[in-house]
Amino acid sequence: MNNLEEIYRQRHSQFLVPVAEKLELHLKDCLSSLHRIDRICSRAKSPARFMQKALKKVNQIPKYSDPLNQILDQIGARVVTFYTSDVEVIAKEINRYFHSIENKILVPDGESEFGYIGQHFILLLPSDVLAGFNDDDNLPQFFELQIKTLFQHAWSEAEHDLGYKTTSQLTSLQKRKIAFTAAQAWGADNIFNDLYNELESDHALNSQ
Amino acid sequence: MELKTIHCFLVHPAKREETQPDIGGTSVPKKGLLYSMLKGIFDKSEEDCRTDISFNHNATGKQQNDCRDLLLAYINSHRVDDGRSIALRLQAVTTHKSGLGLLFLMVGNDGDKSKLVLSRFPADQGILAEESKDSLTVEFLEKVFMKSATAYKSALYEGKPTANAFWTGRATDKQINNPGHEFANYWIRDFLSSELRTTSAAGSRRLAQALRVAMQNLSETEAKSEIAAAVTLITGIDGKTTSVEAFCDHFGLSSKAIDAVRKAIKHDNLMSENFQFDAVEFKRHIAFRSVELSNGGILTADASQFDNIFHREDLKLDKKEVRFTTQGKIVDQRLRKGKI
Repeated sequence: MNNLEEIYRQRHSQFLVPVAEKLELHLKDCLSSLHRIDRICSRAKSPARFMQKALKKVNQIPKYSDPLNQILDQIGARVVTFYTSDVEVIAKEINRYFHSIENKILVPDGESEFGYIGQHFILLLPSDVLAGFNDDDNLPQFFELQIKTLFQHAWSEAEHDLGYKTTSQLTSLQKRKIAFTAAQAWGADNIFNDLYNELESDHALNSQ
Repeated sequence: MELKTIHCFLVHPAKREETQPDIGGTSVPKKGLLYSMLKGIFDKSEEDCRTDISFNHNATGKQQNDCRDLLLAYINSHRVDDGRSIALRLQAVTTHKSGLGLLFLMVGNDGDKSKLVLSRFPADQGILAEESKDSLTVEFLEKVFMKSATAYKSALYEGKPTANAFWTGRATDKQINNPGHEFANYWIRDFLSSELRTTSAAGSRRLAQALRVAMQNLSETEAKSEIAAAVTLITGIDGKTTSVEAFCDHFGLSSKAIDAVRKAIKHDNLMSENFQFDAVEFKRHIAFRSVELSNGGILTADASQFDNIFHREDLKLDKKEVRFTTQGKIVDQRLRKGKI
């Protein structure tokens, strides 16, 4: 696996980092006409996090037989917006400019569960971004794009960070605490979105 | 890359038909004239297939595509049975307008890389003429399969056949340029379940931005006028498959104008990449055309209507002097802090 890490480190510095930088500019340009976007960022997956994912096992069997080709979020981008109703607008614009091979809305399994929420795409890296790079074996073809509200973004960042701090299973209380914060974020998103829609329709009526 | 196997299938038109005709299929031996012709197609497929395409995800948004699954199974097995599944898929989307066709599947390998070429020859009618020393015999042929200049279709997939491979490929489809017609969707959208790699919006935006930058950077009035005239006429290619290069060619831009566009695009492969032109998207990036005169006057109008709104006369005494005239009611006036 040292060889895998070495190969990825080289790919990371030579290709993934500069492609991610170019992608961020490209995304900002494509979405420049949309309102209420808090941030657009793109990153190359760090070698440490890549290795952690590459070595994952499911039922004692390695999850990835060819991690360099199977892990598609070596470049990841995120668009963070204010309200939940903005997510669909951004997704529509993304579909106009990018070709997706995966498009899913992640929600917890049951109605009484709270956890990770967000819209995820696996998109082809556009030729405008790949132009100027030449190495078919090391250039990624895809990147992962997430569209999140500010609250979804804040929750997933903290949850992700906590996930790296523990090597053992979370206790029942710890799981409940994480679910509680997810529920709070979900509630805040809903209330802000309702308020936004109410105030927007008031504003529209007043300006008639 | 060495061509390893060729399979051939006769594909009937059977779209929306309850009973699909059986498809036999056969191997093509690696010798003789037919092999030589097909080898030529296989070897030249990189030149022939010029439209970059990518498979779509399935209806539920998952990373799966039925056509891609069939192609991957065939690439890995090289078996006629797996090839037949591809032919059956083509048959199920083939209408009577597209008609009978011969599908060739050609696979080659080089180390850990594979290459698959799909090639569809449409059926036509023909006449066989045989000349001997003192006679000429002619015979009507009902089923002749030709590499037709207008209806021939092919697709090329290349790379290591790993789990995430072959999401992208390249295609030839001369009939794609019939927007709204069923022919336009038959090969790439219906059979390959794919779309052009560069979306309509992305390609049209790229073209508009390149033209805008080229106009800003050009100092020659002639070359600027050529681009401006092309922008005025561009709605005529709405829905057509084009590229930045094809646009320059279609509107007969001079080498100076083309060079300026090329510099604005920065990379040659972006010049030649095909996309379906979208006039609405283009207009989002180039809405207005302005002309500034030496006397300080600035005329601005909708880019596609500029030549209808302002009538231009080239004055006789000095060809460089022009007079613009227009007529209408004043609906608004504005003051600005800078030039628009």
